[in-house]
Amino acid sequence: MSATESSDAADRARRLQRVAELLAEAVTPQQVLDSILTEGVKAAEARAGSIGVLGEDGKTIEILAQRGYAESAMAGWESFALDAPTPMSEVIRTGDAIFIPDVTERNRLYPSLADRGQDGHALVVVPLAVEGRVFGAMSLSFDRDIQFEPDRREMKLTLARQAAQALARSRLYAAEQTLRERMTFLAEASELLSSTLDYNHTLGQLARLSVPGLADWCTIDIVSPEGEIERLAVAHQDPEKVRWAYELQDRYPPDPDAPTGVPHVLRTGEPEFFPTLPEELLDQAIGDDEELRRIIDELGLKSTICVPLTARGRTLGAVTLIAAETHPPYTAADLELAIELARRAAVAVDNARLYREAERGANAARALAYVADGVVLLDHDGVVRHWNPATEAITGVDEEQALGCPVGEVVPAWDALTSHVPLVPPGGAARPVTVPIVLNGRERWVAVSGVKFDDGTVYALQDVTEEHALEKTRSDFVATASHELRTPLAAVYGAVRTLRRDDVELSSDDRAAFLEMIESEAMRLAKIVDQILLAGQLDADAVDIELTECDPQEVAAAVIESAAMHLPETITLDLEADSEQPIRCDENKLRQVLVNLVDNAVKYSPEGGRVELRVRRANGSCLIEVADEGLGIPADERDRIFEKFYRLDPQQTQGVGGSGLGLYICRELVERMDGSLRVESEPGKGSRFTVELPLRR
Amino acid sequence: MLCRVNLAASGMEVFEASDGREGLDLARKERPDLVLLDVMMPGLDGWSVARELAADEQTREIPIVFLTARADPADRRLGEQLGGVGYVVKPFDPVSIGDLVEGVLVRIERGERDQLRREISSERER
Repeated sequence: MSATESSDAADRARRLQRVAELLAEAVTPQQVLDSILTEGVKAAEARAGSIGVLGEDGKTIEILAQRGYAESAMAGWESFALDAPTPMSEVIRTGDAIFIPDVTERNRLYPSLADRGQDGHALVVVPLAVEGRVFGAMSLSFDRDIQFEPDRREMKLTLARQAAQALARSRLYAAEQTLRERMTFLAEASELLSSTLDYNHTLGQLARLSVPGLADWCTIDIVSPEGEIERLAVAHQDPEKVRWAYELQDRYPPDPDAPTGVPHVLRTGEPEFFPTLPEELLDQAIGDDEELRRIIDELGLKSTICVPLTARGRTLGAVTLIAAETHPPYTAADLELAIELARRAAVAVDNARLYREAERGANAARALAYVADGVVLLDHDGVVRHWNPATEAITGVDEEQALGCPVGEVVPAWDALTSHVPLVPPGGAARPVTVPIVLNGRERWVAVSGVKFDDGTVYALQDVTEEHALEKTRSDFVATASHELRTPLAAVYGAVRTLRRDDVELSSDDRAAFLEMIESEAMRLAKIVDQILLAGQLDADAVDIELTECDPQEVAAAVIESAAMHLPETITLDLEADSEQPIRCDENKLRQVLVNLVDNAVKYSPEGGRVELRVRRANGSCLIEVADEGLGIPADERDRIFEKFYRLDPQQTQGVGGSGLGLYICRELVERMDGSLRVESEPGKGSRFTVELPLRR
Repeated sequence: MLCRVNLAASGMEVFEASDGREGLDLARKERPDLVLLDVMMPGLDGWSVARELAADEQTREIPIVFLTARADPADRRLGEQLGGVGYVVKPFDPVSIGDLVEGVLVRIERGERDQLRREISSERER
């Protein structure tokens, strides 16, 4: 070895050492590439260099970086096939370095390159391998022809080993870094998704979380229960662009039959991945719409991933990630991440929906438990599937006894109850039929309606026993009132007909008696009509009560005086008053009450007797009592006589007429004067009605 | 009184009572050809009077025409059961009451008493 040679060797060793130091400091793949292509190329005394790696598919070689080559020389060489007839492809295929001294030799070995770079000289391509596995190659071009001696070759191979290790290490580091970022992102996303059941809100947040780390644009679409595509979220760093995207969505609503994009993914349930968005796809979507073309161009869409939100075999929606102005085109790893993200989001949406359904079910159960109407669900075989508490109350049969049993066994009267109920289809107007039925030993009136649907029949039961009783009272009243009107009407009509007879000569006494009959019966008619009207006003709370100071003795005396004028001979009427204290009441209304009570006392004393009106003071109130020695009132009817339309003797066989409203009116009036009306009675011995009114304050 | 004046005008002899008890006594004493019986009366009502008349050998055959404000089918049936031969619902025209009584008596004479009874509940309310 000459001195020059040894000095050259030492120089090469120093340069290699320098490169090794730089590579040791480089962390990212870019830093490693920069170091190799500057200091490494310089150390190798080369003019230019490039580094290519085998792609994910194992079939193509991508040039990661180059230095020293003219742009024009590299055009078309960004990536090429592993089996291409080029030195780099061959090195990566074989793992053996290639040393070419000049262009002539190059053209001989690689005829396809003959038309390129004729001004070139020596060329070296060395493999980049780690642990025996070749993952790429480095090319070095020189500015002169060189016959590579073994030590020079060894220097290039050493440089390649250093570069390979540094590049592999940095790529591993970058991959780990990416993986960690993705894991962090997924963890954040999962936390977000599990934070609330409001998935509309959550998915919106998820879309925002994906921007800009995962995408320039992230949109989330959901299939509504009606099967329509609803855009749930659009995220972009610029809120202005988000607004604009929504406008765009309105202007260009998604076509459910579109061959690509969200509708396609929703239909197929399969992800759609465009590492590079094909021009023709955009052209197809745009058509002749110049405005849309301008918008799409402005968006600068590069690469898209659209993944379905799938849970339990159903596609609930889709997540679309778009790489545009900043994000690099998507890779298979991005697709994997998107699929995982969509999987988690779908589970969250599904859970939220299931929870909502469960909650809806629970609410429905609560409603059925507390609704006042009985609800019974029978299956096609008439077996009880639902029996709510109101049904228990109406039928007296517990849910536990009823569930799972044929309804006829549970309630023997069921057939009688429902045989006349028209069953309508869902949504039909279910008309309840009111049926009398003995349930649990009691007679009840039950309004029943039924709806027949696919899985059985649902019945609604309403206990209308009280309403029915009221209705009966009302119809009894109408009958009673009409009967009561007939008698005076018959007298008036009959008297007039008789008076007008020209074939009969009436005595003057008869004539006078008929006229008197017309007068008194007409008045009786008027009185009955008045009572009906007054009862109506009381119901509507439209009766004016004027509370003023009045002397109860005076009112009582006037009532006695007027009653005495048409008193049956068998009745004696007495007034006993020992309180002069004025009271606070409506004088006319009090008179009305007392007239009615005295009338009743006389009316219900058919065998005659004493009727006494007594005014006295007790416990700071004024008591006005009307007592008789008449028929009396059976104990079980004492409370009911104050009910509207209630009559002691509805058949009126005892000949005691009335509208059935008198006592109802009396009690209502007294209570409106801040007083009370009560009764004590002993059947056969007589009754005592007591009006209690406040003294003047 | 309405009936008395109008029946008298048809040439009939009329006995008038103001309540059930008095009417029953009068029927037993006078044995009329026919009783016009008001149902709603103080004290003894018309149904009770009819029952007592039917229970008495001496008055059992006296035909009864009920006068009443009650037009329910149930009341008509009761009238039929109590042996009535007529059922007049108020208000009615007293001028024609004489014709009605005569008609009933003629048909009874003809032996149509049972038919008259059945007509009570089959007749519709006016």
